[in-house]
Amino acid sequence: MKSSLQRKTGHTVDWLGFAPFLLFCLAFEIVPIIFLLRGSFIEKTTHQFTIQHYLDLQRPLYINSFINSIKLSGLTAIIGMIIGTFIGYAIYHWPSERVREALITLSDVTTNFAGAPLAFAFVVILGMNGVITQFMLQYFNYDLYPKFSIYSFSGLILAYVYFQLPLMVLLILPAFAGIKKEWQESAQSLGADTLQFWWRIGIPVLIPSLIAGLTLLFANAFGAYATAYTLVQAKLSLVTLQIGYMIAGEVRQDQAVGMAMAIGSLFIMGLSIGIYQAATLRTRRWSKS
Amino acid sequence: MAKSRSTPFHVPNKKIRPAGWQVFLVGFFLFYMLVPIISTYVFSVATRWDRTILPEGYTLEFYQRAFDASYFTITLRNSLILSLATVLVSLLVIVPTVYWVHTRLAGAKPLLDILMILPFGIPTVVLALALVQVYNFSPLARSPFLLIGAVVIYSMPFMYRPVANAIQAIDAHVMTEAGQSLGANVFQVLSKIIIPNILPGILSGSLLVFATVFAEYTLTSLIVGARFKTFPLLLVEFTRINGNVASAFSVISFTIAWLVSILILWVGSKGQVAKTKAIRTG
Repeated sequence: MKSSLQRKTGHTVDWLGFAPFLLFCLAFEIVPIIFLLRGSFIEKTTHQFTIQHYLDLQRPLYINSFINSIKLSGLTAIIGMIIGTFIGYAIYHWPSERVREALITLSDVTTNFAGAPLAFAFVVILGMNGVITQFMLQYFNYDLYPKFSIYSFSGLILAYVYFQLPLMVLLILPAFAGIKKEWQESAQSLGADTLQFWWRIGIPVLIPSLIAGLTLLFANAFGAYATAYTLVQAKLSLVTLQIGYMIAGEVRQDQAVGMAMAIGSLFIMGLSIGIYQAATLRTRRWSKS
Repeated sequence: MAKSRSTPFHVPNKKIRPAGWQVFLVGFFLFYMLVPIISTYVFSVATRWDRTILPEGYTLEFYQRAFDASYFTITLRNSLILSLATVLVSLLVIVPTVYWVHTRLAGAKPLLDILMILPFGIPTVVLALALVQVYNFSPLARSPFLLIGAVVIYSMPFMYRPVANAIQAIDAHVMTEAGQSLGANVFQVLSKIIIPNILPGILSGSLLVFATVFAEYTLTSLIVGARFKTFPLLLVEFTRINGNVASAFSVISFTIAWLVSILILWVGSKGQVAKTKAIRTG
C-alpha cells in the first residue's frame, strides 16, 4: 500500500507515465518559445547579449502595430463583454428551454466561425457591393462608403465582435446561475429595489466573471490572425500581421525584431490569460456555496 | 397561451412569453450571427447580387467551378490528412496522460492544467515563428510533420476538456483496481475498460479537434505554405481571385462546421458528457 504522501506526489515510476506528454509539450511548444526568448536578446553577428531588438520596437511601424492591436482587442473585448452580458441575461431568463439550448449551441458554433470564411462572409454583406451596403443605398439613400469600410479598422471591429459576442455569452451564462433567486427575494423583503439589488449584490457577484470574460476576449482578439489577414492585409498594421510577414519573409526586416515583437505579444497575452485564470478561480467561490 | 386564458388565477406573463427586451436582445443576436452566414449561402448560388435587394437569378455554376478548381481535390485531401493525423496523435498523447494523472499521479494535475491553458496564451503566429526558427533543419523544417506537432499543441485543450470530464464522471480508480485484481495490466485496463467507458468524451474531443484543424489557416500558411496547401488556404486564395467561387468554398467550410457541431451534440446527448466550450478562434 502506498502512503498518502506517496499517493499525492507519486513515485518516480509514476512520473515516467507523464513523460511522453511532457516531452511532446517541450519539443513543440516550450523549448521553441525559450529559444525565441533567447534569440530576442542576442545580437546576430557577435552573439552578444543585447536589448537593441526591443529598442527597435520603438519605430513607428511597430509602435503602431501594438497600438492598433491593443485598441482593436480592447474595443471588441469591451463591446463583446457589455452586449454579450445583456444577451446572456436575456437567454438565461428565456422561458423555453429548447430555445435556450438552441441559442447556446448557436453560440458554441459561431464563436468558432473565425478566420477566412467569416471574413469573407462580412465582405459579402458589407463590402463595396455588399448586401447591406446595397440595402442602405437603395432604401435609405445612404452610402456606407467611404466613411466605413469592411477592409479597415471599423470593419475589423464588426468582424471581431462576431466571434467575441457568443464567447462572452458562453462565459457569462454560468455566472447568472450563481445569483441565487433567494438572494433577490431576501433583498426585496428587506426593501431593496431592482437597481439597489444589482448595484449591491448582482454586479459584485458578477465582477469576477466579467473580468474573466474581458481578459479572455482581449487575448482572443489579440492573438487572432486569419480574419485580419483576409480583410485588411497591408492597409492596417497589427502585431500578429507583422509577425506573420516576417515568417513569410514578405518584408525585409530583421528577424530579431520579429522575435522581440513575438515576446512582447506573449507578455501581453500571458498577462491577460493570467488575470483570466485568477478571475475564474474567484468565480468558483460563488458557485460552490 | 390557451392554458393561461382558461385559468382564473393570474399567471405571470413572463412564464409563458419572453419579455420585450429579451426578444429585442435575442433578435439582435440572431441577426448578427445569422445574416453573414445566410448571405454567404445565398451569394454562392446567386447569378448577380450587387444591384438588387434579392439576387437577380440563381445558379450552381460557382460550385461547379469550385469543384473544378485545379487544387480542390488536393487541398481537401491534405486537409483530411492533417485533421485525421492530428486527431490520432492527440488521442495517443492526451488520453493515456489524462488517465494516468487521474489514477496514479494526482500531483501532476496542476502541471497538466497549466500545460493545457498555455496554448491559449500563445498567439498562433508566435508558435509558428518559434517552431520555424528552432526546426530549421530537414526533414522537419517547414514540413507537414512540424505542422502536425504545432496543430496538436494548438488544439490540445479541445481534446483535453471532454476527455477529462468523461474520466472524472466514471469511477476510474475502482475500475482500474477491479481490472488489476483480475490480472489485467495497464494497457489492458486502458483499452478494455477505461476507453470504452469514456468513448463519448473521446469522440467529442476528436470531433472538436477535427473541426478546429480542418479550419486552421494561420499555422498551415506560415509553417508549410504552398508546399502543403489545405482547404482554408485555397479559400483565402480565391477571395482574391473570384468572390463567387470563394463564397462556395466558404459555404462548404460553414457546412462542415455545422455538421461537426450537430455530431458533437448527438454524441454528447448519447453519453451525457458535460458540454464543453470551445474558446479558440483564429
